[in-house]
Amino acid sequence: MIFDKPNTVELLDAVKHFLDTKIKDEVAPHLAFKLRIVENVLSIVIREIETGNDLSQEVISGLKKLVESETANIEELAHLIRDRKIDLENPELKNLLVQLSKNKIAVDNPRYSTYKKLIEST
Amino acid sequence: MKQELSEHLSDKLAKESITGEILNLQPLTGGASKEIWKFEIKSKDSISKFILRRGSGIEGPLAIKTSDEALIQKNVRELGACVPEIVAVSSVDEPLGDAYVMKFVEGESIARKILRDDEYRAALTNLAFECGESIAKIHQADITDFSFLPKKTVMEQINELYKTYVSFDQPSPVFEYTYHWLQDQDFGDLNDTLVHGDFRLGNIIVSSEGLQSIIDWELAHIGNPLQDLGWICGNSWRFGKINKVVGGFGDLDDLLRGYNSISEYQVTENNVKAWQVFGTFRWGVICLIQASAHLTGAVNSVEKAAIGRRVSETELDIVDLLFSEGNNDI
Repeated sequence: MIFDKPNTVELLDAVKHFLDTKIKDEVAPHLAFKLRIVENVLSIVIREIETGNDLSQEVISGLKKLVESETANIEELAHLIRDRKIDLENPELKNLLVQLSKNKIAVDNPRYSTYKKLIEST
Repeated sequence: MKQELSEHLSDKLAKESITGEILNLQPLTGGASKEIWKFEIKSKDSISKFILRRGSGIEGPLAIKTSDEALIQKNVRELGACVPEIVAVSSVDEPLGDAYVMKFVEGESIARKILRDDEYRAALTNLAFECGESIAKIHQADITDFSFLPKKTVMEQINELYKTYVSFDQPSPVFEYTYHWLQDQDFGDLNDTLVHGDFRLGNIIVSSEGLQSIIDWELAHIGNPLQDLGWICGNSWRFGKINKVVGGFGDLDDLLRGYNSISEYQVTENNVKAWQVFGTFRWGVICLIQASAHLTGAVNSVEKAAIGRRVSETELDIVDLLFSEGNNDI
């Protein structure tokens, strides 16, 4: 990258900090609720920048093994299931769907109750 | 805009013989698709509180008209169901738009406050039973009064949801799997009733005394009554309290005891999982619908944009329900 510091995550962190410390207490209650959503959105973007690539690659490499194709992608898997061209009872398929869902939530909302439950049980 | 709204509101209420000065008109945090305003009316010797609920014109394909929500609440209130008192109904071609005004109900609707604050702790112990009783009363309404409501079997809804999901062209392996699974389930062949369609914390008003009102009727339809009981048992509506199956606050047994104390048809715990998966899939598609309103440019809303990233919560809940053996939720 040719860009100077701060990097994207550092910039977003600064915006989050500003909203949290300078704006949060200044806005009306119905906007405070929306402000929390805005901060959550920034957190999603930060997590995706930091971990999104690894989380995606982990799922894609499992998928390539499952369907024995080097070019496989998530959309293709969805179509294989739609058309029942893959055995729906295959334990490896079920494991991959769990992995996919866990890796998505790890970016979208790692505090989600079911995610915490599944992390603690493994 | 607020001044104009206040004038339309005043004109409308005058037709219902409610007169006086409108004070403190302010927006409330409500559902993602409807406007909700709180206001007071000052007459000679008193101040009364009211709520205005108004369609924003960007409701999803599953939602009914706001004025129809009001008609349902008027009807079931006469049956003794726990719903707000409607004082004015406005149709889409009136200046106020598709809207209604109800008397303000004291209490709390924000789920996390109800689950967290000491004030509601005592009320929570009996809330599942009360919810069962109230929804059973609603299910007793005469469905011939609701010719304006869509009639939807569970399988029709599953197909409708699936088609809606497919139309967004964002293929999900988990939703594809879910669609196959749901088609193999038995949801019970019950007589059709009025179904609230979104019965859960967030859409009920609770005080320290217990359940006060069931609100937010935009997903109402005619169909299988078990849908309302299954919906409130999904993890999407437990707000982090994963071990309390009913809405994050109660046990299934209490909900069913409350329901069966009113209903002639006695409900058992049979196939709760199918209803949970159905409800979770339904919420996932509703998230997609909400997000698409932002993505298509129909509205620019960070709230609607953000909800697109909640679809993954429903996918995780579904794979947990389907694949986690010995799941302690049921």
